[in-house]
Amino acid sequence: MGFFVDATTAVFAVGPLLAMFGATLLGVLIGALPGLNPVMAIALLLPLTYSMEPLVALAMVAGIYNGSMYGGAIPAILLRIPGTPASIATTFDGFPMAERGEAAKALKVACWSSAIGGIASAVALMTMGPLLARVTLFFGPAEYFWIAMFGMASVGVMVGSDAVKGILAATLGLLIGTMGIDSLSGQPRFTFGQTWLLGGPDLIVVLVGLYALPPVLQLAEKCDLRGLSSAQLRLESVPFAKGELRGFVPTWLRSSFIGIGVGILPGAGGNIAAFLSYNAARNASDEPETFGKGNPQGVAAAECGNNADNAASMIPALSLGIPGNVVAALVLSALTIHGLQPGPQLFHQNPVLVGGFMVEMLLTSVLILLVGGVTATRMFAQIQRLPGVLLVPSILVLMCVGVYVINGRPIDLWVMLLAGLAGYVLEKVNIPLAPIILGMILGPMAEQSVRRALLISRGDPTELLTRPLSAVLAFATLGMIVWPMLKLLRGKRKL
Amino acid sequence: MEKRQDLLTGLIFTGLGLAAAWMARSYSGAGGTYPMVLGLALAIFGGVIALRSVRAKVNAVRPLSEAPRNLFLATVVATGYIALVMPLGFFTASVLLMLVMPVVLGFRQPVYLVLMALVFMALVWVVFSAVLEKPLPPEFWSTLWREA
Repeated sequence: MGFFVDATTAVFAVGPLLAMFGATLLGVLIGALPGLNPVMAIALLLPLTYSMEPLVALAMVAGIYNGSMYGGAIPAILLRIPGTPASIATTFDGFPMAERGEAAKALKVACWSSAIGGIASAVALMTMGPLLARVTLFFGPAEYFWIAMFGMASVGVMVGSDAVKGILAATLGLLIGTMGIDSLSGQPRFTFGQTWLLGGPDLIVVLVGLYALPPVLQLAEKCDLRGLSSAQLRLESVPFAKGELRGFVPTWLRSSFIGIGVGILPGAGGNIAAFLSYNAARNASDEPETFGKGNPQGVAAAECGNNADNAASMIPALSLGIPGNVVAALVLSALTIHGLQPGPQLFHQNPVLVGGFMVEMLLTSVLILLVGGVTATRMFAQIQRLPGVLLVPSILVLMCVGVYVINGRPIDLWVMLLAGLAGYVLEKVNIPLAPIILGMILGPMAEQSVRRALLISRGDPTELLTRPLSAVLAFATLGMIVWPMLKLLRGKRKL
Repeated sequence: MEKRQDLLTGLIFTGLGLAAAWMARSYSGAGGTYPMVLGLALAIFGGVIALRSVRAKVNAVRPLSEAPRNLFLATVVATGYIALVMPLGFFTASVLLMLVMPVVLGFRQPVYLVLMALVFMALVWVVFSAVLEKPLPPEFWSTLWREA
């Protein structure tokens, strides 16, 4: 635990502190704009962090992630439009409260609940992450291979509505990950004679295309020409009654546990955490019939649940190298940009950096209380007066500058466009994008591990299954793939 | 399930997987076996999706686009922008994009549009060129200016 002292000292420097404050503000703004999401914002931000200190770059990721999860509640409460998918459950009681003239109170509840969920999640990350990382000391190449496979299988199966399409997406990501020079044999693979492909397609370029262009095209499709009127964004300041906050404590505790549990599970996202927390709060309430009609406990449960998912989703990413969701994958990409190898060794080789990021997740959750007050929220809400159609070219410009500065290659702009158009179509045919990115990140690690394991065993493939830990991981991976298919078959038989 | 879309998606991935496996034959040792296995797996999963769509009894229509006209226009303008960034320069092409894209999509408030384009591009210039000093594609007029 000594590394936390060094990590905290490193975080309490001017650069990371300024980055956290600015990024949390920016995150709330992004969350407040329907159509923009944290994944898109972080994907756009990553190329710009090349020249920054790793802790400053990670501070920005933490701020945008935590800030935007709260920001999503602003349009959810004021307009019944969830700013991010994770704030859908917030609309159930937030909007009825706003209709009653209690919008400011609903926003205050959302702000406190988001901050408390985020703090609980960060504490879980700081305590469970290092413990889980110790397990990886027993890992050999076979375990590394299976852990990568398990991560991809679980994300592939759980992220979308169709397990086969999820696994197909993960396989596609793994295949893209093989492009370029093979690090073990030195032979070029799938380069089509192009020198720019020798290093493989740039992960960040593909990421920006896949995650930023589809929302831009959707904004263009919606074609919002007016924005909102100021009358729709009116807010009255209402203080909490004495002891009112104490009434939320049981909901916050319950929702924090649910959010942390969901966050650790690879593939499950903040929206699932919010829905589960909301249902749990309704079931535990003496007045379940008031839920959906403007019960502040509903807002508290949903917001606390979705923010409690944030830092917890980093637990498998930072300790095992398995990103549980796309933001965790982006964090691992940010580490790759700074020359660090994501994977089980990350924690042991860079404890101050990993610990620093954990502290930043905690501090940015606290910052929500500072930047999410009614005055600030009133300011953020004004951003929704901007016509959506003006955001389309603005985001395209940011995508272009972000991608170009990575390598200074015009070809990257075309790769980004192609990846974005492919991402748009893939999403429309229900093929999830997250497993593709995870495949690209974890693919090289999986390939190197399996080939090392086979070299050690002189080509004997049973080496991958004979060690107890690798056998457990292999069966878990197999179970993760086979279980949903069996469920599907059983469902069909019943019909 | 959208039968036609899924059939086409499945067939595309089957073709892609088989092509990758075929190409991987020329790579030596384990460096070839690994992508070959992945290619075959992709082909199998693609085949499963195609087969499932053929056998599906229900066909739930799922449109690829909510507003095909706007999607088409936005894609064309975005492609044009990428094509013009290098010959015109980053800022010139971007200002053009900021002005053209909203108009093409039906925005008709010229003053608001010009103001937004100027303020936003000024902000981009301050952040990326002045503060972060990121090298961006040079403006065509700066080269002409220098030559003159």
